[in-house]
Amino acid sequence: MTITPQMLGQVVISGILAGALYAMVALGLSLIFGVMRVINVAHGPLLMLGAFATYFLYHGLGLNPYLGLPLVMVVMFGVGALVQRTLVARVVDAPELQSLLLTFGIAIALVNLAQLAFTSDIRSVEYLTASWTVGGFAFSKSRVIAGVLAVAITAGAFLFLGRTRLGKAIRATSQSPDVALVCGIDVDRIRMITFGLACALAGAGGALIAVMVAIQPEMGQIWTFKSFLVIVLGGAGNYPGALLGGILLGLVEQLSSLLLTAQLSEAVSYVLLVLVLLVRPTGLLGGRAT
Amino acid sequence: MRRVVLPALAVVLAALAVYPTVASGYGVRAMLQLFMWVALAGSWNLISGLTGYVSFGHIAFFGAGAYATALAIARWHWPWPVAALAGGVAACLLALVIGYPCLRLKGPYFAISMLGLNEVLRALVSYFEGLTGGGSGLSLPTLEATIPIYYAMGAVAVAVTALAYAIITSRFGLRLMTIREDEVAAEAMGIDTARHKLAAFLLSAAGPGIVGGLFARDQGFIEPLSTFALVMTITMIVMVLFGGKGTVWGPVLGAVVLFVSQELVWARFPYVHQLLFGAIIVAVVLLMPRGVLGVLQQRYRLPRTI
Repeated sequence: MTITPQMLGQVVISGILAGALYAMVALGLSLIFGVMRVINVAHGPLLMLGAFATYFLYHGLGLNPYLGLPLVMVVMFGVGALVQRTLVARVVDAPELQSLLLTFGIAIALVNLAQLAFTSDIRSVEYLTASWTVGGFAFSKSRVIAGVLAVAITAGAFLFLGRTRLGKAIRATSQSPDVALVCGIDVDRIRMITFGLACALAGAGGALIAVMVAIQPEMGQIWTFKSFLVIVLGGAGNYPGALLGGILLGLVEQLSSLLLTAQLSEAVSYVLLVLVLLVRPTGLLGGRAT
Repeated sequence: MRRVVLPALAVVLAALAVYPTVASGYGVRAMLQLFMWVALAGSWNLISGLTGYVSFGHIAFFGAGAYATALAIARWHWPWPVAALAGGVAACLLALVIGYPCLRLKGPYFAISMLGLNEVLRALVSYFEGLTGGGSGLSLPTLEATIPIYYAMGAVAVAVTALAYAIITSRFGLRLMTIREDEVAAEAMGIDTARHKLAAFLLSAAGPGIVGGLFARDQGFIEPLSTFALVMTITMIVMVLFGGKGTVWGPVLGAVVLFVSQELVWARFPYVHQLLFGAIIVAVVLLMPRGVLGVLQQRYRLPRTI
């Protein structure tokens, strides 16, 4: 097979579109890690809930998936805040082992609750299945819209973190919970809001990919791994790093699908993870990992 | 204490040794599986219970051992006991490759890397069809060896438990537990943490590798989905957490209780069963982080080596 510049261009653009989505979902994981030092193993299953919510809004109420997205985000914010307040808050100050195991347990419970409630039938949201052709490149409409919306939502999240009082409080807590507490920030409340926000981002991811791929209870797990890979690439706890990591992962996946096969693209991403951990464990932009 | 425990242990082992001569085929198979779970749970405990580094993909070593053994038997015609040991070696090599980059770092890198490892191995095994038979699986020549495999599996379960005892009562074990409690302090005391973690990890991979090999020989057929099953990692973790992580007998207790209840009740409700596993993990972490044995140790002031 010869690779034309045309194909390469297609791969680069698809990679960036996919990468924007990865960046948005991973930003949620990165926020939780930054503020609570907790790696949320349930991040992917929470994304799966967002996808199912979109599916039921579309098939039950006939709601356009993109109009449903803000609603899904609000609901997932609530779910996240509830999970944090009732469960995760109890292990935030415990050794890392406890929080990893706890979120792992939550992940298993969520996936199997979904199996019981929704069965493992494969579902889909048939919306915008066509493609746009621009200058010889073909783009699936749903992927372009997902990429663009992901960029917009991620930009919104950064504006919120950078400009608002609440966003600044979140960043302050992530720098030092003790100092933040002394400065009069309600750290427990910030943690709850951060978890909710992170779940809203995961839910948005679920809503966007619901239109692109098959929806079933086990669709989420791989997203936990991908999001983690993104924050390792960019540097754990380094919020802009998630952007770079996301785009990089998107490009690597698309390129390896083109050069090898789609089946092996996960293995290639895994080799990338191991290499980054070997050579530059603090991530490409540097993080606060130890 | 010792005077009661040692004879009791000898009686149990002797009973298990004569069990195949009196038991039904089903009984032997069930006991063989119980041995497998004791070995798997005990192995997970060596890395995660002792050093606090959670492995979310420990079944990857089981799968690697199963495929290495199956290939050695089917393609190179090795005798199965040698092939199963080769499975253990293969699992250790894999642990070395993954552990070296991931264990040098603190934090969750190791946990999530292990979560990914299992998925990636499954994808690789499915992809390289020429060698592994891909998704349609790999068949072994037929061989009636349930009873020898029963003894081999039992030997691995005993070896893993004895290893846990030897480690927990040794300076090496104390160093591992120091890493678990405070890695920075451990380093300040002069413990080479990276090497200790890697050593514990290699030891914890050997058991699942051999057990995987025995499983492959016993089943006579393996395929990627059931060999690299995430639910098996979950089961191991639940057994250790329930019984008491970081103890010698906790994984054994957890394996016995959960395996028996799984055989009797839950096997009929697969999703409820896994949902329950998730709930048990959450409940144990929040309410009883030391597990059943840890609670008993504390309440009745039992020695740490129980």
